Amino acid sequence: MNDADASIQIQQMVRFIRQEAEEKANEISISSEEEFNIEKLQLVEAEKKKIRQEYEKKEKQVDVRKKIDYSMQLNASRIKVLQAQDDIVNAMKEEAAKQLLKVSQHGFFNHHHHQYKHLLKDLIVQCLLRLKEPAVLLRCREEDLDIVESMLDDASEEYCKKAKVHAPEIIVDKDIFLPPAPSDDDPHALSCAGGVVLASRDGKIVCENTLDARLEVAFRNKLPEIRKSLFGKVGAA
Amino acid sequence: MESAGIQQLLAAEREAQQIVNAARTAKMTRLKQAKEEAETEVAEHKTSTEQGFQRKLEATSGDSGANVKRLEQETDAKIEQLKNEATRISKDVVDMLLKNVTTVNN
Repeated sequence: MNDADASIQIQQMVRFIRQEAEEKANEISISSEEEFNIEKLQLVEAEKKKIRQEYEKKEKQVDVRKKIDYSMQLNASRIKVLQAQDDIVNAMKEEAAKQLLKVSQHGFFNHHHHQYKHLLKDLIVQCLLRLKEPAVLLRCREEDLDIVESMLDDASEEYCKKAKVHAPEIIVDKDIFLPPAPSDDDPHALSCAGGVVLASRDGKIVCENTLDARLEVAFRNKLPEIRKSLFGKVGAA
Repeated sequence: MESAGIQQLLAAEREAQQIVNAARTAKMTRLKQAKEEAETEVAEHKTSTEQGFQRKLEATSGDSGANVKRLEQETDAKIEQLKNEATRISKDVVDMLLKNVTTVNN
């Protein structure tokens, strides 16, 4: 083989080596792009998934907070309505208490003195029937003392007839009286609209038959009826 | 001549190695770039997601504000209705209570 042939062969080999290298480099370049795309996609998708989960969690928290807020507002609204109902019912009771003062004053009964006297007698008889004691202590307002003393015998007699017992000993307490009717001077002072309190001699059994106490009982008993007539139509919350 | 030929071949081998090495280096750089580009894309995605979230929050906070207002109006209307009903029946209730107080059943 002469030099020219050898040179040609070497040139061919050099070209082959370079071509091989370029093909290899080209393969690396192609795989580089593929791996680049895969790597980037994987990284992006993994992070996007994290972000998605993070914001789903955030949205859930917002939803929960909104539901809690709305629930609290709904609750506050219900309480407001219930409070209004309570205020209305109590206002009626207050109005009844105001009107009750007229019972022992002129104007409620046509013949005031006679009618209130009759009411007091009935209240005393009722207490006697409940206590069924041979001796009782009676307390009334100082302003009612004369009326009470004037019809004590009638009350005792009526009790005897109804209970079929001997006349009880009724001691009127002239040292301690029930509070007087409320005055404008001190509206927060203890007061009593009228009526009586009877107790057994030992003070263990007490029958409170003041107009105020009776109003409390009437109010408590009639409360469901009052609420129904008031809120049944409106639809209680 | 033979020696020169061998030198040529060795030089060609070295050049080939350099070409392959350059391709490998380029690949490493490209893969690093993938991480950087991914980070940029993710940051953009997070920003747009946050903006969307904030927009949604603003829109729904308007809704919940309207709900609160509606609830307040309903409550006030209900209370007003109660008061009207109370005014209507108050006298009857008071009379009934007084009758109960002043009627003694012995």
